[in-house]
Amino acid sequence: MKNIIKSFIIAGLATAAYAKSPAPATAENLINAQRVSNINVANISPTDSIWRNAKSVAVIFYPQTTIKLNDAKANAANKDNKAIAAQVSAVYNNSAIAFKISWSDPTQSVQSGNASDVYPDGFAMQLPVSFNDPKKLPYIGMGSEGRPVLVHLTKATNMHYEPNGNGDVEHQVNPHNTNAFGADLANYKDKVNKLGKQGYSRAFISEGFRSMTQLKDGSDKFGMKMTYDAKSKRWTGVVAKQLRDGAADLSKFGALPVSFAVWDGSKYNRGGVKNLSTWLAVKLQGKAGGDALVKELTSKPKGDAKAGQAQVEAMCASCHTLSATKQAASPVMAPNLKNIGGYSTNAYLVESIKDPNAVVVPGYNRNAHKGFAWYNVDAKTVKRTSTMPPMMSDDKSINDAVAYLKTLKAEVAK
Amino acid sequence: MSKRQLAMVMDLNKCIGCQTCTVACKTQWTNRNGREYMYWNNVETYPGEGYPKKWMELGGGFDAAGDLKEGIVPNIEADYGVPWNFSNEELATFNFRENNPTAAFHADSTPTWGPNWDEDEGAGNFPSDNYFFYLPRMCNHCSNPGCLSACPRDAIFKRDEDGVVLVDLDRCQGYRYCIAGCPYKKIFFNSKLSKSEKCILCFPRIEQGLPPACAQQCVGRIRFIGFLDDEDSQVYKLVHKYKVALPLRSDYGTQPNVYYVPPTEAPAKFDAEGKIIEGSQRVPMKELETLFGKDVHGAIKTIKAEKDKRAKTGESELMDLLIAYHHEDMFRLDANYYQDVAKAKGTTNPLAPIDSRYAKGKFTKEINFKAHA
Repeated sequence: MKNIIKSFIIAGLATAAYAKSPAPATAENLINAQRVSNINVANISPTDSIWRNAKSVAVIFYPQTTIKLNDAKANAANKDNKAIAAQVSAVYNNSAIAFKISWSDPTQSVQSGNASDVYPDGFAMQLPVSFNDPKKLPYIGMGSEGRPVLVHLTKATNMHYEPNGNGDVEHQVNPHNTNAFGADLANYKDKVNKLGKQGYSRAFISEGFRSMTQLKDGSDKFGMKMTYDAKSKRWTGVVAKQLRDGAADLSKFGALPVSFAVWDGSKYNRGGVKNLSTWLAVKLQGKAGGDALVKELTSKPKGDAKAGQAQVEAMCASCHTLSATKQAASPVMAPNLKNIGGYSTNAYLVESIKDPNAVVVPGYNRNAHKGFAWYNVDAKTVKRTSTMPPMMSDDKSINDAVAYLKTLKAEVAK
Repeated sequence: MSKRQLAMVMDLNKCIGCQTCTVACKTQWTNRNGREYMYWNNVETYPGEGYPKKWMELGGGFDAAGDLKEGIVPNIEADYGVPWNFSNEELATFNFRENNPTAAFHADSTPTWGPNWDEDEGAGNFPSDNYFFYLPRMCNHCSNPGCLSACPRDAIFKRDEDGVVLVDLDRCQGYRYCIAGCPYKKIFFNSKLSKSEKCILCFPRIEQGLPPACAQQCVGRIRFIGFLDDEDSQVYKLVHKYKVALPLRSDYGTQPNVYYVPPTEAPAKFDAEGKIIEGSQRVPMKELETLFGKDVHGAIKTIKAEKDKRAKTGESELMDLLIAYHHEDMFRLDANYYQDVAKAKGTTNPLAPIDSRYAKGKFTKEINFKAHA
């Protein structure tokens, strides 16, 4: 009933605003990108004037719990992670799109100096390389086979260096191994410093967790920056990307799917241990198209969650962990579903219950948990086949199950 | 599992703890560029804390079911030891006439721990039953590597041609799950590069038919290197024919490829009056079992039997091997093998130090890769 009233109001607004500029629709998981004139992609900054009129919306980042990695300290520190409510705003023009996200983090963690166990805070934005069917978006965990994503990542790091020193072997030597003293030594150190890189912004292409590969050919035109406000204890990150470059062409769409992730260095967060959003719809205001995507990503599941719960607990819970109290026999037996409702789309859940082979991502190294293979690989075709059998076939059962699965998520931290 | 596997054997009866291997490795690979604190090869006193501190208790490796176990990433100050520098720069300008000269020369940090902090301490009571031996350690180039299995970026690979385990620095994102995953803690984080690095078994030397620097420089001639499937190699004879060389902590489940001839030669214990207790064993078998498994009994029996045989008859192939008359015989690298690999690949480099699975991947049009200097 509530939904009907809401859509009625939205429809009413749209009619009333016919003469004026249309007021953007609001819904969960919807970001309205305001049109601006100029986006400085390479040097995007949170203080740019483009953000002046951009309205931010709340987006929830859920703890990644699908897979459990092997760092004992990280696992202990992130055991009972809550979801993070971030603020996201977006702007676009004909050639580029930019996002600003802001999230609370009581501790600023920067990777610097000679430390083996210090991890940086960071954030990332994920876009599909392409998409046609809003029901078949790439897998949220860094894409899936045939559905690649571009991931743009930045971390709070100080100076770091390339392994080969950009070919400069001479300046890889420890200062104390040189024969330099005084001014010569200062000179030497200065040259070494110049080989370092200050920012840590990287673009990756990926078809699933383990396949993520850095784009080093400069084909992805993007810029990122993150700044910490010690007073409010919040990070603000900005990321801008050309809609059409060597890595992808997203210029034809009126709405785009986008997702974000944040890392908390103080809790040993890095690669895999993070909080992430589901696929969000970004409606490019004033640009035609994309309605199907917006509808898909903002719609509520149709089924009966209560009926779904009974089914899922009976059919899925022996392999999949559902919550802190409904644990699978082994934490690595199958993907943990504790936060699946937070970061998965309805369509993905439907697709994967119907056909577990539709999306099979690389996941753990095949060597890590030989006792619990999540998929088999055909030696000839290298095709992955899920070890999960199709569990349900009728639409009612599947919709009910999805409605329940969508309720599985951590509560939001206050 | 690789098609072939290079392996090393170290004879612990002959290790004198001189650290020449450590220094050979350090000067070759780790005295610069963010690797200063790393010892890809170290020699620790056993029993002792080891390097990094208490590495055997830091997790990693596999459980009986073959599942990767959780582990800890050690801390440089507390567990590895800070590589301090001396104030050479200050000395150049220091006024000795006016100032106290002792203040001029000092370390730039006060270390609280470092490799060999407890060197030669061992265990037991001197002189009745104290004991220790040296345990040289390096990457085991495991057949089932914990580091490789832990990597969420497929950045670690094992070469098919010789089983050497390498980090593809192009793919490594510095997450350090590999360090937690390695039960031997022989993969390290380079904070300057923000990448993981480890022993490369001196592959640029190996490909030219030269043994790794640690083996070449070993003054005690304790290190053998060769392919495990090469029946003419001394490594094969020690590991498979005589079964006197055993892997370290094989219970970690990584199938390590560095093998140790267990220490058999220690003086007997003394009684309260300082007299020798005949037939007593100074190094407890329990300790050796922990390190090398139950097979250590058979290995020690074989070594003792061959020693007796040699004393009686003057003949023993095993004793000849362990005496290591000719240093070059200890290394069988089959240089032509790598040349043939290169020929088959149509390259001049036998094996590129990157993972070919992604080198010409569908994901990147162009890789700005330069061979690591």
